[in-house]
Amino acid sequence: MKKLKTLVSLMLAAVMLFTAAAALADGFSVDVLEVKIWDNNQLAGLQQIADLWTEQSGVKVNIQVVDWDNYWTLLEAGASGGQMPDVFWMHSNNAEMYMGAQKLLDLTDYIAASDKVNLENYYEGITELYSKDGKYYAVAKDHDTIALLYNKALFDQYGVAYPTDAWTWEDYKAAAEAITEASGGDVYGAACNTTNDQDGYFNIIYDFGGYVISDDHKSSGWDNENTIKAMEFIGTLTEKAWAPQQLVSENGTDTLFNNRKVAMISQGSWMINSFYTYEGSEDYAWAVLPYEDVNGNGQADEGERVSIYNGLGWAAAANTKDPDAAWSLIEWFSSEEMQLKQSELGVTMAGYIGASEAFANAFPGMDISAFLEMESNGTLVFRPYSKYTSRWSDQYQRELVEAWNNPSAMTGVLYNLAGEMNALLAQE
Amino acid sequence: MAKGKHKMTPSEKSQARWGLAFVAPTMIGLIVLNFYPIFNTIYQSFFKTGDFGMGNVFVGLQNFASVLGGNEFWRSLGNTFKYALIEVPFSIIFALLLAVFLNRKIAFRSGYRTIFFLPMVAAPAAVAMVWKFLYNQQFGLINNVFGTQTAWISDPGIAWISIGVIGVWSIVGYNMILLISGLQEIPHDYYEAAEIDGATGVKQFFKITIPLLSPTIFFILQTRIIGALQQFDLIYMVMDNSNRALSSVETVVYYFYTQAFTYNNRGFGAAIVVSMLVIIMLITFLLQRAEKKWVFYN
Repeated sequence: MKKLKTLVSLMLAAVMLFTAAAALADGFSVDVLEVKIWDNNQLAGLQQIADLWTEQSGVKVNIQVVDWDNYWTLLEAGASGGQMPDVFWMHSNNAEMYMGAQKLLDLTDYIAASDKVNLENYYEGITELYSKDGKYYAVAKDHDTIALLYNKALFDQYGVAYPTDAWTWEDYKAAAEAITEASGGDVYGAACNTTNDQDGYFNIIYDFGGYVISDDHKSSGWDNENTIKAMEFIGTLTEKAWAPQQLVSENGTDTLFNNRKVAMISQGSWMINSFYTYEGSEDYAWAVLPYEDVNGNGQADEGERVSIYNGLGWAAAANTKDPDAAWSLIEWFSSEEMQLKQSELGVTMAGYIGASEAFANAFPGMDISAFLEMESNGTLVFRPYSKYTSRWSDQYQRELVEAWNNPSAMTGVLYNLAGEMNALLAQE
Repeated sequence: MAKGKHKMTPSEKSQARWGLAFVAPTMIGLIVLNFYPIFNTIYQSFFKTGDFGMGNVFVGLQNFASVLGGNEFWRSLGNTFKYALIEVPFSIIFALLLAVFLNRKIAFRSGYRTIFFLPMVAAPAAVAMVWKFLYNQQFGLINNVFGTQTAWISDPGIAWISIGVIGVWSIVGYNMILLISGLQEIPHDYYEAAEIDGATGVKQFFKITIPLLSPTIFFILQTRIIGALQQFDLIYMVMDNSNRALSSVETVVYYFYTQAFTYNNRGFGAAIVVSMLVIIMLITFLLQRAEKKWVFYN
């Protein structure tokens, strides 16, 4: 009996040794990496890219999708309890909080030693977002831009000319009002909710030379003179050009657009796929966002056609079991080759500068070059954020509702917002 | 009997051990999932909490001062009571009427019972979504059937009632089942005797049914008041952040959720729920006192 026991334990030990040796052969001590993301649209493409890495490394990549709200609940609980996924997405809303608490793996040395990742090749705003005190915690996964989506059939029906790149916001307003009027209120020219900030009115604010948060993230821009000017203009849009706020709030701009209640909306590049796959999308077309001719020379100059952009980052957990494997995967996702592949597969535009061209061809039958044109003919401005973005973003989304319904209250609401936001920023 | 410890016999010992073993799963569950969070929440309410539970700074009663000193807590408390004021009485009255009817021998009785109980089986989030579609001003079924233009969930004057209606609809079947079981406990002789004495159906209802059902009604009243004061999911599902009626239906728990989870203000959020806990305890205490006045135990 005793002999048998010894034999069994010896055999077990041998098996364990072999497995360990097999895993160590390619330098990684884990068999599988857990990856978490929040966008189901991107799963198939990213898994394909990750599988290519598995072929080389022998480490499996298990990508799981958790919807946006639960993603952050889960990640935060994981970070508090020391059980984070190995590799995951970071976002401008929360990055500073995670970096400040040392929850993300410090990638600085890895990046310095890497021949694939050179930070100069990635969008500056994104790199800056994921760095703190000279250390880097994530590499840009993608970037997005905003464009104008319109329904050609509705424009034809009401005899209004399609949007062009010569449109100013005033032209946009006139066209939208014409549609609302011609349809007798059955169809609205455009729609934008208080929650459509990055993909909506923020672009107008920056076109007018205004801002939402100062560059040092210490003070609010709601009471800035140009911001107020832009928001007053937005107030005039709510009167006739845009669908009533209540309607938009109950249904969402995308639903209204898909149901032909609204002729045009501004949308981010991350939404293309959902419109592309929608029935009746043969009537859909994309144009660049209108611009604001601040200097009055009749053309869109630097800063007059802004696209607010954001970029996700690939980050790893500070306590991941195998930092080398996690980095290797991040490096793989960030490499020029795979960034090109990400665009090609239509996952998103790249975080790597100049690797997004292929994205335009990823949707046969739909011309989405406007998103790339926003970049070549427009100005990219990084999405406003701070350490606790949602504290003040939730506030303006709620409080602007009043001004959307009653534009004469706009300036008062803005001064209020500025005061509240400054108080919140002072606590950060 | 001599004072001092009673020595357990071996069989008693073994029984006690088994007893403990059987209650252990529940006890452990309660301690880990209920007691620990309760005390941790009370603890956190005295701190300015840091991210990920690190770097908490003791601030004494400052969180409570800002919770109780701000308008939002009181406004959301008012909204919570408004909700309870609809849900509790109406769900009990309707349930009582249904229970009395469905306790008689009528055709398809169990079918009706099942139908009324169904909302209880459906996921609350799904219920809320369906009602949200029904209430939609432009495309909703209600406005389209009645040809109205009412903004059921966006008009601050109406939204709280619309939400309350969903609450009543969701819970009425559950209350009904409890009341039916209460009704079946009432001996039939009472009604027969009353009939012989010439009491009408209405009189029987108020003189026999209600008093003998009062323990069940009281149980429902108490649990529903507590439940209504904790209302969150309905509002979370139905009301969008940009809904202009949000501030007139936002309940205390919703306010807590926004502060603690959306804004990451755990300490402040903890102070909100601890304040709410005190209020609920107070109400429960008053109810227990009132119980002796009108609840009839035979």
